[in-house]
Amino acid sequence: MVSYILRRVLQSIIVLLVVGLVAFSMFRFVGDPIEQLLGQERTQQDVERLREALGLNDPFIVQYADFLARALQGDFGISYRQSRPVAEILLERLPATLELAFISGFLAVTLGIALGVFTAIRRKGVAANVIMSTSLIGVSLPTFLIGILLIYVFGVQLRWLPTFGRGEVVDLGWWTTGLLTESGLKSLILPAITLGLYQMTLIMRLVRAEMLEVLRQDYIRFARARGLSAKAVNFRHALKNTMVPVITVTGLQLGSIIAFAIITETVFQWPGVGLLFINAVQFVDIPVMAAYLMLISVMFVAINLIVDLLYVWVDPRLRVDGRTA
Amino acid sequence: MRITFTVLALAAALPAGAAELRFASTTDPNTLDPHAGNSAPNFSLLGNVYEGLVRRGRDMSIEPALATAWEPIGDGEGWRFTLREGVTFHGGEAFDAEDVVFSYERAASEQSDVASWFASVDRVEAPDATTVEIYTTAPNPIFPDSIANWMMMDSGWVSENGADRPNIEQGNFATTNANGTGPYRITERQPGLRTEMEAFDGWWGEDRGNVTAATFQPVQNSATAVAALLSGELDLIEPVPVQDAARVEQADGVQVIRGVEARVIMLGFPHDRTDLYGGGDENPFADPRVRQAVAHAINVPAILQTVMRGSAEPVNQLVSPAMRGFTEGLSGYGYDPDRAMELLAEAGHGDGFQFSFRCPNDRYLNDEAVCTAITTMLSQVGLDPQFETMPVANYWPTLRADEHDVYLLGWSPGTFDAEHPIRFLLATPDEEARLGSWNFGGYSNARVDELLPAIQSEIDDVARQAMLDEVATLTLEDVAYVPLYVQPLLWGAREGLEVVQRPDNFVNLRWITVPE
Repeated sequence: MVSYILRRVLQSIIVLLVVGLVAFSMFRFVGDPIEQLLGQERTQQDVERLREALGLNDPFIVQYADFLARALQGDFGISYRQSRPVAEILLERLPATLELAFISGFLAVTLGIALGVFTAIRRKGVAANVIMSTSLIGVSLPTFLIGILLIYVFGVQLRWLPTFGRGEVVDLGWWTTGLLTESGLKSLILPAITLGLYQMTLIMRLVRAEMLEVLRQDYIRFARARGLSAKAVNFRHALKNTMVPVITVTGLQLGSIIAFAIITETVFQWPGVGLLFINAVQFVDIPVMAAYLMLISVMFVAINLIVDLLYVWVDPRLRVDGRTA
Repeated sequence: MRITFTVLALAAALPAGAAELRFASTTDPNTLDPHAGNSAPNFSLLGNVYEGLVRRGRDMSIEPALATAWEPIGDGEGWRFTLREGVTFHGGEAFDAEDVVFSYERAASEQSDVASWFASVDRVEAPDATTVEIYTTAPNPIFPDSIANWMMMDSGWVSENGADRPNIEQGNFATTNANGTGPYRITERQPGLRTEMEAFDGWWGEDRGNVTAATFQPVQNSATAVAALLSGELDLIEPVPVQDAARVEQADGVQVIRGVEARVIMLGFPHDRTDLYGGGDENPFADPRVRQAVAHAINVPAILQTVMRGSAEPVNQLVSPAMRGFTEGLSGYGYDPDRAMELLAEAGHGDGFQFSFRCPNDRYLNDEAVCTAITTMLSQVGLDPQFETMPVANYWPTLRADEHDVYLLGWSPGTFDAEHPIRFLLATPDEEARLGSWNFGGYSNARVDELLPAIQSEIDDVARQAMLDEVATLTLEDVAYVPLYVQPLLWGAREGLEVVQRPDNFVNLRWITVPE
């Protein structure tokens, strides 16, 4: 088990290095940061001075090596856009994204599994069919459209919920949370639905399909024949056996919820890292882009690792070094 | 008891109907340091916090601010400013001539982004605490016009906090903190998220509305900003997208405030190429008849009516009528596709030719749509433009690398004077002399180069205007550029909100009155 984890960690580091390399080789295609940093009345001397000071004259390999060397010491450089340390900015923005991602992830998983089980068990019922048809909206409409629709209906027309921002936040020193104020909670509702809707419908459809598959198996029939209650059959025997693919997908989707919160954050002006990244791309803020991409890849790698370990826990057959062969 | 008194005294000092304003714009200033960023979003916000020796009034004219009067020294050796007395910074420090000299040294330093304003300045002296003398290497009649955004910092505050020089790449204390003399002081700054301001009771001026507290939030997505305005979460947004203006106008409780910006949108040509970047081995644009044909081929009124929905003004020179030095009575080429085809045939290009046409897609209002329309119009007279758009972060490097033929450019003169585009867009490019730095097409006209220094040092307004008129006429005949229109300003506001909208697109909080 230990050697398995070590091997995975080693693989992860290689993945990270490659991501960084690809990212740095791409940055010069995003544009020239100097154009954004200096005003229209700048001179060529100003441009040259700043270019040298920022190390933009070096080949990208050298820039990448510099970045890695400093990143290993916990220094992610200084944002071109804000002239402040990138680490500081990321830490400021992360709570907003993580809160949003976990709330929408939680909604997606709980509602997704519940509705999935329901539609599988009552697959001929009217309610199940209505749910299945509505879920098509979730998988087929793009996120920004859902966001704008929600804003229009609940923000502009009904005026129940705020249209943008995070509301009032409570600063705990190392974390800012919107979960403790009324305006913070209200602000969270629309973006969380927007961000989680796709994942929810995806999980729901997956659970339903897996459940239908499992319910057809012999052991379920035997379980029924043994006179077990419907509850025990459906949840203890059937649902547990549908979990392996669901865990994989959920894990990976949690990663993409955080990574692709970009669109939701832009539509709702949500002050998280996704919005920060979009601004960084427009401004060619290389240190912020680099740190963000590294952060996201670390996260994906970590999630994959955890998902792998969870498999082993859920499905005893996968315990390679195991007590059972 | 004392606390009560203080509260009462404060309440008395505030104007009647104290109000809070929540406003938003697409771009957050990248710094609070007035010498580290030379862009409109920075000056718009900081103009409420910091002040210069002079400032621009409601009609853009120069008026006294921290200087009460100014006069030329001798025969154009420089300018003498008399400073306002009794002015204090937000931190309580007194403002005097020493601060002006310090602010000059800081703003003109190598690390500053506004150093070019002081290119003609030789030295700055402070004979006494309320007089400052600025000596220039040559007579500079528009110097006071060019320093309206040169903001004064307190030398003591800056030094104590180790921000003696602006620092664009690393930032310093002045990047996130401000201490000006202006009508508002910054109480909270979260870069990229929000900036809170509060009326400064110790401000020397009187001309102010009823805004006592203001929150600025950048909202990148215009649709989000419009929704927030409609739902009453914001009081003022800028800009309203052109395509949403009519809808916002019809909505209850909000209004659209329209104006004209200082920015002129134009087409540029590859004057100095021998071949074409996106075409053959020769450069047909070297022939003025071909450039004229392009001017005749573009139906500007149609573009304004369809793409800009009637909210922009056509123009035939590089500055808008609101600028100082605008040339009256000039008439442009006008839409005449037959004449365009005739001219092309005369120049030997009756069958048209292929060239590259580049355009940004996130820099100007509806820039991509305008260029798409232009592409169609050029095709209609038989030309073959290879149209390509890109984000502005790539656009400028591409133009600078000379990878273009015809291109779209917008120019807003920082000095609000017709001399500005001559210096940046028409003068023959010369790095040493800091001329023509945005003249991507390499336009070069000996007479224009000769007139520029004369315009810069001419004290007599009539003689100066005559020279500006000559340049405008020359470049129109030469079709150095094809000026298209002046970009519109569209603000969205709560109904009843009174604002002053100037061509520089600055939000001046002190002129805003929020309805009860």
